[in-house]
Amino acid sequence: MSGQRHATMVAAATLALTLTPLIGIFEGVGWIVPVLFTIAVIATAASLTRAAGRGQGLQTLAMCAGLLIVLTAGFSGGTAILFVIPTPDTFSHFGLLAGEGVAGIVREAPPVPAEGGILFLTLFGIGLVAILHDMFVVGLRTPALAGLTLLTMYLVPVSVAPDATAWFWFILPAVSYLWLLADDNLRRVSAFGHRFTGAGQLVSQRFPSPMARTARWSALGFILVTLLSLTVVPTNTSGFIDRIAEGYQGGGDAGLGDVNPWAQLSGSLNQPEPVDVLRVSTTDPDPRYLRMHVLDELTSDGFAPNDYDDREALVLDDAQGETFTAEIENLRMEAPVLPVYGTPVELAIDGNWERDSATDVIVGNSSDMGDVESYTLTYTDSAPDAEELAAADGMDPDDERWAANTEHPDVPELTGIVDQALGEATTVHEKVIAVKDFLSVANGFRYTLETADAGNDEAILDFLETRQGYCQQYAAAMAWMLREADVAARVIIGMSRGTRDGQEWVLTSRDYHAWVEVYYHGVGWVTYDPTPTSGVPGAVSFPWATEPSPEDDATPDPGESANPSTDPSEAPSTDTADPSPGAEAPTDGPTGQAADNGAGGGPAFNPAWLLLLLLAALPFAPATWRILLRRSRLGPARLSAKTAWDEVLDLALDYGVGLSDSLTPRQAAGVLAQAAPGAREAATALGSAMARHRYSPRGADPTGLADAVHDLRSELDQRAARGRRVQARFWPASLLVKLSAKQAEESARLARRSARAADRVRTAVRRPRRSNSRKDRAVTRRP
Amino acid sequence: MTFESSPGQPPQAPAPLSPQEFKATAEGILTNVEWVIEGKSHTIKLAIAVMLAEGHLLLEDVPGVGKTQLAKALARSVDCSVRRIQFTPDLLPSDVTGVSIFDPEKRDFVFKPGAIFGNLILGDEINRASPKTQAALLECMEERQVTVDGNTYKLRSPFMVIATQNPVEMEGTYPLPEAQRDRFAARLAIGYPDINAELALLDRREEYNPLDALRPVADAEMIVRMIAAARAVHLAPELKRYVVDLVAATRQNAQVRLGASPRATLQLLRCTQVLAAMDGRDFALPDDVQQLAVPVLAHRLIPTTETTMGGGDTKAIVSDILRHVPVVSHPGRY
Repeated sequence: MSGQRHATMVAAATLALTLTPLIGIFEGVGWIVPVLFTIAVIATAASLTRAAGRGQGLQTLAMCAGLLIVLTAGFSGGTAILFVIPTPDTFSHFGLLAGEGVAGIVREAPPVPAEGGILFLTLFGIGLVAILHDMFVVGLRTPALAGLTLLTMYLVPVSVAPDATAWFWFILPAVSYLWLLADDNLRRVSAFGHRFTGAGQLVSQRFPSPMARTARWSALGFILVTLLSLTVVPTNTSGFIDRIAEGYQGGGDAGLGDVNPWAQLSGSLNQPEPVDVLRVSTTDPDPRYLRMHVLDELTSDGFAPNDYDDREALVLDDAQGETFTAEIENLRMEAPVLPVYGTPVELAIDGNWERDSATDVIVGNSSDMGDVESYTLTYTDSAPDAEELAAADGMDPDDERWAANTEHPDVPELTGIVDQALGEATTVHEKVIAVKDFLSVANGFRYTLETADAGNDEAILDFLETRQGYCQQYAAAMAWMLREADVAARVIIGMSRGTRDGQEWVLTSRDYHAWVEVYYHGVGWVTYDPTPTSGVPGAVSFPWATEPSPEDDATPDPGESANPSTDPSEAPSTDTADPSPGAEAPTDGPTGQAADNGAGGGPAFNPAWLLLLLLAALPFAPATWRILLRRSRLGPARLSAKTAWDEVLDLALDYGVGLSDSLTPRQAAGVLAQAAPGAREAATALGSAMARHRYSPRGADPTGLADAVHDLRSELDQRAARGRRVQARFWPASLLVKLSAKQAEESARLARRSARAADRVRTAVRRPRRSNSRKDRAVTRRP
Repeated sequence: MTFESSPGQPPQAPAPLSPQEFKATAEGILTNVEWVIEGKSHTIKLAIAVMLAEGHLLLEDVPGVGKTQLAKALARSVDCSVRRIQFTPDLLPSDVTGVSIFDPEKRDFVFKPGAIFGNLILGDEINRASPKTQAALLECMEERQVTVDGNTYKLRSPFMVIATQNPVEMEGTYPLPEAQRDRFAARLAIGYPDINAELALLDRREEYNPLDALRPVADAEMIVRMIAAARAVHLAPELKRYVVDLVAATRQNAQVRLGASPRATLQLLRCTQVLAAMDGRDFALPDDVQQLAVPVLAHRLIPTTETTMGGGDTKAIVSDILRHVPVVSHPGRY
């Protein structure tokens, strides 16, 4: 097998091995076939072009063409000629697919089915990586750089689904990288000719070198050390990528098709531009929140999505108290559950809907909100009295729902925090108020869409330590802390009430919200919202969320204690004792949200785009580096004959003017002047300036050298052939030389060090050296 | 009994020569000598450089190309004492160094200085003398003094030996031993003139020998000042390193049995200084070193038998070394 074919195969194989971590983020393994096919096509294209003796530019073009053909054959949607020749329509179809894929990445939790847009993006991304990989490994012979491409492959699953990628997936990429380096080095060594053992015996090409065993053991050792340190060192994986990943926690089995409510929540809140989701007209003058999901299963990963296993036919309770009617128009909501106000008593809707008895959530049985254009809902929305709540007990521990609504993972640090937060509180209501106050702005909590990582094992501890987050963290923290204090509590995901638009309410994607329900014996589930109102545009205040005791004795406050009894539905909007001082009545003011966006880091951008951007920018990196290097050398602050000459030497390399090390600066200038006759004076000036700089006690005057370099460069550029010119700009040889020189230096240093170490070991075990080189030296008297 | 051979101490600290004065004077000598030897300005320049570096010069070439002419022209251009020794097999060491003769009037031995007591010594056909006579030159050339009958006599300053030898006709000759060859700072070959130069030579020599018309352009005192000025030329550390690298490369070269000595390093540097000064510079460049490397190093190397049998010569070896030794060494690499 020829050298390049072997190298190409190694490159393709290493890339394929690095794909294994992706298994975690896709459903099934069917995606592997097209991905491997893509890699194979690209490798074949590269190998054939190389075998035909074509340069790197054509090889890259061939690989790109291979990728394009694969994508066209697989995804043209019938727009291609003869299945493989793309037309302009094909590209617009690709654009659609890419958009669909990006939307899927944002919306769905891993494991995602590998099909449609996501598969397209996957193949496209892996194809680009494969091209770069082949370029680094075979074309440019810089396999060390291929570590970057392998890292990209590993980074994607790690950032999208940290849970789905276990530590052992790291082994295969690491091993494949070592394989890559070893193979390249073997080729390099073999290029010198025959190999010898230390004792001077000839060994065959296939035979491992005497250092191979040491190398293998040290490679194994390094991997072990890395893995060990991975398990010991606290990792910091929080970042903009993690915010989306956070929603997927525990999302191994969402049980609801493919949409995880947490993911939908954070995805919607992070959308750059809010879109209208629902339009509601209700007889209720002051509507509260629209309830959608109930999350009551708490694991160490947080509140997990509900499976809604206890479904039964949709039978609604009879109305108790004042009823309201809401007409809800669906603009673009897609959800398996129905958003409802308070306690529904009548429902007019198309489709097949069931009720989950444990949570009272109305779940679609093969029906989805996406299919519903509008529905009418009649509901009651009673407001419990703060005094009544203060007197009520919590859930009876014998209640069958007790276990499901109070169980929580054992986190000792959290127990301490909760004990401290509760203080003197004994009754359920006191505990609820204490926890809510603990999470208040007055206690230093801040609303922001950016979450920070403090390095704790549990996300809740991070939140309580950094004291910043959004409704997801607030709701989950409050429910968890209450459960820690033996109060039955659960998390609700739904929509806040939005903004008023005439007689109607408009709910946008920004109005997705999470809050808490607490169970009171005799009263039932009562809603609390711990999130600071500044962060929630359609926030509603709940009058019962206060301490009733002082009002019992004192004269009635004009606010809450009088009103709720008379008209519970009217009161909450204006007069509440919300713990957050900055709380405005946010009924119809999107300004709060806008201001918060500014403070909270603005809309999150999609990591996939960032990755694409980085990939797109990669080819320009060497050119940019080269330009920056030139600027820094020729800048007035640093300019000297030495920096100018360094630049000249690099220019010579870039434009293929051979300057041997044994040439003096003047001779080198002469050679350059031959290559660029128009810049003879510039070259001579540069050469003699360098000679003066290096050899004269007075140094050289750098005036005018920058211009001379520019003259020389433009002349060289004009005289160069076109290929050479492009290469000099985008892939300058001088950078490559620098990289490989550094690499050579490092490996030489390593070899010396290991040789010394081996000598020391040998001396220690007192084994005489077998080499007779010392005797030789004594005879010849020459080193 | 004493004999003052030298004119005393070197002249009292004359004003230092400026690079321009140095250049002008050196060019004066150069033009003068070129009047006699046409079309060989580079060789003449190197010869002058060796002289001003207080080195000894070995001219090795076939008969009739002007070895002796060059030596004589060089000697005449400088107003100083010039002695000529024609080396023959029967020449005795005492002819070179001098001898003590009994003076009946004074009833004592009196030292009669030999031919070596001059500023410029022309040793013609040096390889025709017997080894013991050649050896007599040893002490003189290196230590610039003569010891006869236990008395040591200092030689004049400046002191320079220009020896010529014929590499072709080896019958009845005694090739210079290594030790002696190493004492010559440089070996130069003149080579045949090109056609135009030879035509000009014919025209010139129709009427008279141009050598007779030569007038000195510098005196001994001026030469001493020039020597001092050349020694002040700046040698950058990188340049010294380059010279050391070059010499080290001759010692490691596989085609060479014996490399150049540290004396070679010293003399190469001194000649480099002069060449830089002749160019009007007060700092030396690797370009100067490269011009001098072959003349200064090649005659000191002893090639291996394989090289000699293969037709290689030491000049080619030094040129090859020049092509491979980096001008700036990278201490961190390898």
